[in-house]
Amino acid sequence: MQNKIKSFAQSGGLENAILLSILLFLFNLIFPIHDSWILSIISEVLVFGTLFFLYNYVHQFLSSKVDSPLSLVLNAGILAALLFFIISIANALIGTSGGKGNLGFFNSLFSVLLTFVFLGAIVYIFSTFRELFFLRQKKDPSTYFKTMLVFFAFSFFSNLLVKIDSSLDYPRDAFYVVTIVLICLNSIRVAWIAFLTKKQKYYLLIISVILSVLFGVTFGISSNSSITKQMLFAFSPGLQTVFGLVMIYGSIYYGIIFFTTLFHLPTAEAFDRKAEEVSSMMDLTNLITKVFDFKELASTITKITTRVCNSDSAWLVTRTEKGIDLNAVNNIGYVIADKISNQLLDGGKSDYESLEVIQLDELNYIDFDQHNFRSVAIAPLMVHNKINGYLFAARQKENLFDIDEKRAIKAFADYAAVALENAKLIEESIEKERLEKELDVARDVQEKILPQTIPSTDQLQISALFVPAFEVGGDYYDFFELANNKLGFVVADVSGKSISAAFIMSEVKGIFESLAKIILSPSEILIKVNDILKESLDKKSFVTAVYGIIDRNTGKLSFARAGHPWGIHCSKGKISRVQPSGIGLGLDFSSNFVNSIKEMEIQLENNDIFVCYSDGIPEAKNSAQEDFGYERLESLILSNCDKNLDSISKTVMKELSLFSKDHSQHDDITLVIFKWNKINN
Amino acid sequence: MADFNVNLRGVGSVSVIDVKGYLDAHTAPDLENVFNKLLDQKQFKVVVNFNDLKYISSAGLGVFMAYVETMRENQGDIKFSNMKENVYNIFDLLGFPILYEFYKDENEAIHKFIP
Repeated sequence: MQNKIKSFAQSGGLENAILLSILLFLFNLIFPIHDSWILSIISEVLVFGTLFFLYNYVHQFLSSKVDSPLSLVLNAGILAALLFFIISIANALIGTSGGKGNLGFFNSLFSVLLTFVFLGAIVYIFSTFRELFFLRQKKDPSTYFKTMLVFFAFSFFSNLLVKIDSSLDYPRDAFYVVTIVLICLNSIRVAWIAFLTKKQKYYLLIISVILSVLFGVTFGISSNSSITKQMLFAFSPGLQTVFGLVMIYGSIYYGIIFFTTLFHLPTAEAFDRKAEEVSSMMDLTNLITKVFDFKELASTITKITTRVCNSDSAWLVTRTEKGIDLNAVNNIGYVIADKISNQLLDGGKSDYESLEVIQLDELNYIDFDQHNFRSVAIAPLMVHNKINGYLFAARQKENLFDIDEKRAIKAFADYAAVALENAKLIEESIEKERLEKELDVARDVQEKILPQTIPSTDQLQISALFVPAFEVGGDYYDFFELANNKLGFVVADVSGKSISAAFIMSEVKGIFESLAKIILSPSEILIKVNDILKESLDKKSFVTAVYGIIDRNTGKLSFARAGHPWGIHCSKGKISRVQPSGIGLGLDFSSNFVNSIKEMEIQLENNDIFVCYSDGIPEAKNSAQEDFGYERLESLILSNCDKNLDSISKTVMKELSLFSKDHSQHDDITLVIFKWNKINN
Repeated sequence: MADFNVNLRGVGSVSVIDVKGYLDAHTAPDLENVFNKLLDQKQFKVVVNFNDLKYISSAGLGVFMAYVETMRENQGDIKFSNMKENVYNIFDLLGFPILYEFYKDENEAIHKFIP
């Protein structure tokens, strides 16, 4: 039932209100004087309906404004002032002369319009009281308010009884009194005042006293036998009663607001600060997860510290190896803040384990220019018992930082400490990620550069083995199919590691690839490669390489070397080093280089083995920092030279890993083995 | 990791750098700093004493390559002395002896600068 009324009232609040007011308007134009009681009843019902629907509509409209109670208060006040103004003017103009019988059409039109203004204003003011009543209420107090509404309705309609029989005025008076009592009870609910800021409270204090008086006076002048009272009464006695009640309500309510605000004033500041603290903390919590930039966070923290802790200035420093580093300042110059912090911290040498407040005049710090700070609070930014910096709050006033303020400064310092730690961790992980990415790219490049297939044939068997170091090294090998059944090959090692080595490596590959088919002399190729590398290698980098060409028809090998470990030739149970002279690529770009490069020719015999490798093998270390060495490699090859190529390289790798089992692999390992089979030719 | 020490001393107009331990990519910047200091002081005659050097990597070799040109342009040089055999082998393999002067003894190298 209740819900039905509610939904009915709210569904077409405005339409119904307009419809009823038009009916009321026409009704009053047709019957300016309600002499018969039937007309009175109709009129009263119409007025009540208009009030009812208008009230429900305005309620919906106002509920969107409850976040700013002061503007609600002020709006109601302005309407009250308007009513006061109208009544005063009306009294002044026609107060005495306005005779009763004079009821021309325009006169009645004017009075009806004026009445509508009253009607609207009453509804608006009353609705405002309703919104304020429900504001910030923890329990649902609607029963009290509804009871009051019912008595308002009773007071409204009890006027009809008087109309019927003028001796029946006691119910009206009784309802009137009860309503006023209920108004008093409902006026006490002013919890929302506590949540206003100090400034707003002062503002409300002044407004409420003015409005309380204004409502009182308006009630006073309207209840005298003034023209407006007569007009309203003639229009609808009920409306006149409600008008009076609303004016009383206003006067009482604002009176109570005045006193409540007055009592709230002493605690207003503390309440403000607590609220500020809570909201600042919430801001910070949001910020801490979003801001990766510590400087930005530091500047926010100093701003909040200044505001919440009633200090004049605040700044934040972090500790570095060299001393202290000023991160953010608020309301103070960088130079002065730096000077003060350096003095107080003794250039980063002294520590403050917990929050301390220093009275400056005691310690005779006076030369801080225009900043006459009297007390400075210092809070350490502490994470895992390590002090990473300090938060400063400085005050020019004499009074000390109180316990709440100290607590707040400490809390902000803790936040800053966590944020600083976060920023550091994020930075580190970004750097780590970057390095890993770089390594991935370098590995990727190397993988793509090395040949995917080995051109092994029956006459010339080839095995190639490559083991990358954890940090990518710069090894590279390749094979080139040349005219007349010849095969070119290169094994190279770029100095340096990771991405830079990978870049040079890919360049070296490009150069060898393009030269291999054009130049058919190993020494000339190396000379040309050196020439080209002159443009791109930096002074510190160099490349060592061996280049050879094997004629698959004859088994003739021509071989040149540029600073690279020599080739190992195993023939008929004997090992020999194939070491033509030649300096590394990129070491020299003069005739010295050209003259140094020599070429050797070897005739491979049946079952001969020829081995090229990178210095990752001979320079592999054991835990005693000893080299694996060339001799070890050579003797391994010698003792296994009659085995197939795969088992030779497997044996070498096995021995190598056994030798350096306690030592991580520092450099790439490349092992390329050729075996010449004349029989199958 | 591996230790590295570098010491700079002057013998007349010649600067002698003593290197000790392991010279690799991690420790090479220490040696670079010494060479930068020499450039600032316009000291272009340098002898590097390898007596206590145990190991040198390609990054270590790169340091000498980076500075030798400037030294030579200013009538100076980088000369090497007192090298252990295993370290010399690394230089030798790369062909350094064609481009740099190597001496058994530090004084020999110094006398090359001041006859």
